[in-house]
Amino acid sequence: MLRILRIYGTLIGFALIVVLFSVLLPGTFFTSGNLINISQQISMLAVVAFTMTIVMVMNDFDLSVGSMASLAGVTAAVLFSLGYPVYVGVGAALLVGLLGGVFNGVLVSLVGILPFVATLGTLTMFSGLAFLVSGGRTIFGRDIPSEFSGFARGGIPLDFIGLDGQKLPFLSLVALLVLAVVWFVLEQTTYGRRLYAIGGNKEAARLAGVRVKSLRLSAFALTGLGAAIAGLMYSSRVASANPTQGSGLMLDAIAAVFLGMTMSEEGEPRVLYTLVGVLILGVLDNGLTQLSVDSYIREIMVGAIVVSAVAFSSITKQSR
Amino acid sequence: MFFAGTIARGLAALLVLTGVAMAQNVTVVTPYLAQPGTQMYLEGFEAEAAGKGWNVNVIDTAGDVAAVISRIEDAVTQKVDAIVINVDPAQVAAGLEAAAAASIPVIGMDSGADPLVVTNVTSNGYAMAAETSVYVANRIEGKGRIVMFVFDAFPPVQIRGVIADAVFGNYPDIEVIDRITPDVQDGGIADSRAKMEALLAANPEKGSISAVWAAWDQPALGALQAIEDAGRADEGIVIVGIDANPQARDAIAAGGNFEASIAQDFIGIGKATADAVARAISGEEIRERVTYVPTVLVTKSNVNN
Amino acid sequence: MNALSIRNLSKSFAGSPALSDVALELRGGEIHALMGENGAGKSTLIRILAGVETADALVLEKDGRALPLSNAQNAHDAGFRFIHQELNIVPQLSAAENISLGLPYPRRLGLAVDWKELNSRAGMALSRLGVDHIDPAMQAARFDTGDQMLIKIASCLVDAEGRTADLYVFDEPTAALTGEESEKLFAVISGLKDSGAAVLYVSHRMNEVMRLCDRVTVLRDGRNVLSAPISETSKEEIITAMTGRSVAEIYPPRSSDVGEAVVYAASGVSTDEVSRIEFKLRAGEILGVAGLANAGQSGVLRIVMGLAEPGKGRIEFGSEPAPKTPSEAWARGIAYIPRERRREGLMLQMPVCDNAVLPHLDRLRRLLFMANRRGERAMATRTADDVRLKAAGLSQPVYQLSGGNQQKVLFARALGRQPAILVLDEPTRGVDIGAKYDIYALVRELSEAGCPVIMTSTDLSETLGMCDRVLIMRDGAQQAIIDAAGLTPADLLSRIYAS
Repeated sequence: MLRILRIYGTLIGFALIVVLFSVLLPGTFFTSGNLINISQQISMLAVVAFTMTIVMVMNDFDLSVGSMASLAGVTAAVLFSLGYPVYVGVGAALLVGLLGGVFNGVLVSLVGILPFVATLGTLTMFSGLAFLVSGGRTIFGRDIPSEFSGFARGGIPLDFIGLDGQKLPFLSLVALLVLAVVWFVLEQTTYGRRLYAIGGNKEAARLAGVRVKSLRLSAFALTGLGAAIAGLMYSSRVASANPTQGSGLMLDAIAAVFLGMTMSEEGEPRVLYTLVGVLILGVLDNGLTQLSVDSYIREIMVGAIVVSAVAFSSITKQSR
Repeated sequence: MFFAGTIARGLAALLVLTGVAMAQNVTVVTPYLAQPGTQMYLEGFEAEAAGKGWNVNVIDTAGDVAAVISRIEDAVTQKVDAIVINVDPAQVAAGLEAAAAASIPVIGMDSGADPLVVTNVTSNGYAMAAETSVYVANRIEGKGRIVMFVFDAFPPVQIRGVIADAVFGNYPDIEVIDRITPDVQDGGIADSRAKMEALLAANPEKGSISAVWAAWDQPALGALQAIEDAGRADEGIVIVGIDANPQARDAIAAGGNFEASIAQDFIGIGKATADAVARAISGEEIRERVTYVPTVLVTKSNVNN
Repeated sequence: MNALSIRNLSKSFAGSPALSDVALELRGGEIHALMGENGAGKSTLIRILAGVETADALVLEKDGRALPLSNAQNAHDAGFRFIHQELNIVPQLSAAENISLGLPYPRRLGLAVDWKELNSRAGMALSRLGVDHIDPAMQAARFDTGDQMLIKIASCLVDAEGRTADLYVFDEPTAALTGEESEKLFAVISGLKDSGAAVLYVSHRMNEVMRLCDRVTVLRDGRNVLSAPISETSKEEIITAMTGRSVAEIYPPRSSDVGEAVVYAASGVSTDEVSRIEFKLRAGEILGVAGLANAGQSGVLRIVMGLAEPGKGRIEFGSEPAPKTPSEAWARGIAYIPRERRREGLMLQMPVCDNAVLPHLDRLRRLLFMANRRGERAMATRTADDVRLKAAGLSQPVYQLSGGNQQKVLFARALGRQPAILVLDEPTRGVDIGAKYDIYALVRELSEAGCPVIMTSTDLSETLGMCDRVLIMRDGAQQAIIDAAGLTPADLLSRIYAS
C-alpha cells in the first residue's frame, strides 16, 4: 500500500489537480482548446526539462540552461537583424547551444569540476555573452522575420479528428519530438543504459568498461542543445529576443525532473516521468490563473507542491 | 499534493462566497510589476476598478514575456470581460489573437499601439518633446546655439527628437550645433558627460552654448555634470530633460542649469486605462487607437509638489 | 545485562519468509557467533535488532523484561551497538570527531569547539579498548581499515548520556582486515566481553569463530539449525549445519594440467603504485598475488585492467598493444572483479540484470546503438544461473541482496562472455561459506576450460587452495613467484615475511 502511494502518489496528486480544476472551472478547464493551450504553454519548459533529464540521469546538473536559452534566442535574433535568412540564425543558435554544452561537458568531465560549480560559472558566462551579443537590448519588431515568429503561431489543423478550427501548435509538436528522441536515447539505446550506470555508480561504471568521461561530455552537449532549442521556441513565441528571456526555465526544469523522480522505483530520473512533472507545473499555472489566484500566492503554492511531493516520496521511502 | 487540493478548495469556496459570477472580471498581465512605474499604473487602475466593483486579477510573470502570452490565453479560456496588458503587443501577438478570436477586448496600459489592442493608454511623446523644446526656445528668447541629445534607434525616444528638430528649425536664430547619440550601455549619463565635455572644449567662449535639449533625463544629467565641472555653470546654459526621474527632480530642485523636465502621470494612466476598459466592456466603439493622458512640465516652481 | 532473549522471531518479504520462528539467547560476558549461508537470514536479523526493519513477530526480553523495538532509537536506547563491515567513517574528519560523530561536540563558552576535551574524550574511549596507537587528533583517512574499525568501536563507547552498551553486534568485522589488524580487533572484542557486555559476532571465517566465540547459532533458510557452545561442536558440524551438506574439501582440486600457451606476459613493468612486475600467465593457470596489507597486490591487477599506466616495461597480450583503459580491457575479454564491490563494483540501486550486462552492451546491441533488452535478459538469465545467484528476479535491485549474492552478480558480469583473463581482487571478501564454495567451483571450472586467472586474497589458505603459483609483493615491489603446490599457510606466511 505504502509502496503504491510512493510510486503513484505524484500521479494521483496530478490526477486530483486535474479533477479539481475540471470541477472548479466547468466548461473552461477540461476543454480541448485549453488543453491544447497548456501543451503550447509548457512546450519550452518541457524541452529544457527533457534534456535536463539526460544529465540528471548521471546525477549531474546543468544550471546554465536558462542563460543558454537566452543566448541562443539572442544569437538567432541578431543574425536576423543583420539580414541573414532564418535557417542561418536557427542553425547558428543550435550550434551555440551545442558548443556551450560541450564546454560544460569539458569542465565537468575532463577538468573535473563539480557540475554545480562549473555550470554556475557558465550560467554567468552565457548570460554575459547574451548581453554582449544583443547589446543589452530586446530585439523585436521588423528585425524578426515573420516566417520565424509565424512558426510559434502555426500548427497542424485538427479537423480530421473532429476538433474543427483547432490546431496542434508546432511548439507542442517540437516538444513531443524532443520527448520522443530523449526517450529513445535514454531508454532504448546502449548510450542511455550507460548513462544510467554512471548515475548508479560512476567508479563502478568506469571499472566495468564504461567510457565515463566522453559520455558525460556528450550528455552535457545534448542538454546545451536542448536549451538552445527551447530558446528558439521562446523567441519565436514572443517574436523577439532579449538577453534574460530564458532565466526562469532552469529552476522550473530541475523542479520538473525532481517531481518526476518521485515516481520511479529507485528515484532515478525517467523522461516520461519528467513529462508528468512538467504537466503538473503547467496545469497548476493554467488552472490557478483561471481561478484568479494571486500570482505570488500561485508561486508559493507551486513551490510548496514540489516540496511536499518530494518530501512525501522520501518519507515513504524511508519507512519501507 | 493533498495540501494543494485543500488550498484550492478553500479558494474556490471563497470565490463562490464573494459572488464572483456577478461582477466584471478584468485580468491585468505584466512582466514588469516590480518596476515603480508599473506599480503606480496599477495603483491608479485598482482605485478606479474598486469603484466600479470589478474583480481585478493582477498577474506578474516576473520578466517572462512568453508567460504573458500563456496567461492571456488562460484569461481568454476563463472568459474574462477584459484584459489589460503592460508589454509590447508585438511580443505577445499570439495571446492577442486568442483574445480577438474570443472577442475579449485587450487594452494597453502604456504598451504600444497595435491593431489588436483596443486602445493604448499612454503619455504623448510628441507633446512632451514639444513642451520641453518650446520651453528652451522661449527661455533663450528665440536665439542661440543648442546641443541636442537624441536616440533614434529606440522608437519612443526617436519621436521626441523629431519634434524638437521641428520646433528649433522654426526659429531662424536658433542653431543646433550638435545632435549627439550617446552610448547608453550604462543609462547614458557617463557617455553624455564625455561628449558634452568635448563640446565645451570646442566652444570655449562664454555664451557660445545657450542650451542643452535632451530626449530623456540621463544625458541632461551628464551634460549638467560636464558644465559644472568645467566651471561654466554661471553662463546661463539652460538644460532640459524628459521623464522627470528622481535624480532629475533633485537637480531641478537645486536650482542650477537643469531647469525643466516633464513628468508622466502614471496614476492618471492607470485611471484612464480603467475608463477605457469600462467603455470597451459596455460595448462602446473606441476610435482612438491611443489615448493620451496629459503630462506635467516640472520646473523649480512645482518640483516639490 | 545478564541475558537478552530473542524468541519467535519471524519476518517475511513479499510473502517469502526470511526468518521463521528464530530464537537467540545472548548472555552478558559471552561472545555469540551467528553463522549461516548467504540468504540464511543473518542480515535480516541484524537489521531487525538495529530497528531499521520491523519484525512480523518477535518476543524480545532483556533480563526478563519486554523491550520495545520499532525504530533505530529504541535499539540505541536498549544499549545495542552495531559495527558493520562497511565502515561509516568520515575520512576527512579526525579520529576524535569520528568517535563523537552524531553527538554534540564539547564547547568552550558555548561557542567554540573544545578540541582538547573532544580529543581527550576520544582518547579515553580508545584506552578503554586497550588501544594506544591511535592519535585522536589525526585524520581518519590516515589510518588503515583495521584502525578505522577500532575508531568505530570506540565511538560506541562514547554516548551523550553516558550509557554503556549492553550488546555489540559485529557484522563481518574482519572481512576487510589483514591478519595483524584482526588480532588487534580480537583483543578489543575480548575486552568488551570481559567488561560484561554481550557480543553477537557474525562471520564467515571458521577459524576466527572457533577461537574467539563461546557459543554459536547457525541459521539456514531462516530457521535455527544449530545452537551450541563452541566447545561442544566442531568446524565440520557447523559447516554441515550451514550448507546442509558435508564439506570434505571446499577448494575443488585441479583435474587437468595448466596449459602451455602464454596468454599474458609482463616484464619489468613499473607504474605509480608498483615496480618490477614480471610474470607470465598461462592458459588455465591461476596466479595468486599475496603480501602484507597494501603491499601493492591490487596494483598488479590494475596493470592488467589498463587502470595504471606502465611507465616502464613491456606487456604482451595477443597481437595488439595492451589495453590502456578498463573499457579496452573489457572489450578484449579481460573480466574484472574489483576489491570493494559496493564502491567499485555495483550500481546498488539498479536491477541485477543491468548490473550483470553492463560491459557487454555493445556486443548485444542492435542496429549500431539500440539496446537489446531481450538479449540482455537472456545473457543475465544464463550467467545468473551459472553463478547460482539467489535473487527474487533479474529486476531486483542489487542492494537488496546479501553480500555473497552481490558478489555473484559481479561474477555473472564477468561471465557475460567467455573471459580471456579473469582478474579477481579479493573475490570472496565478505562472502559466506556457501557462496564461497560456489565461487571456488566457478573459478576452477573456468580455469579448467583454459581461462587464466590472476587473483589476490588476504586468506592464505584460499590462495593456496586455488592458485598454482603465488606472486609475492612487498612494499609495492615484486619479490618472488613461488609454486603453491605442497605449501601450508604457515609456509606461505614465512615466505611473505622472508622476502
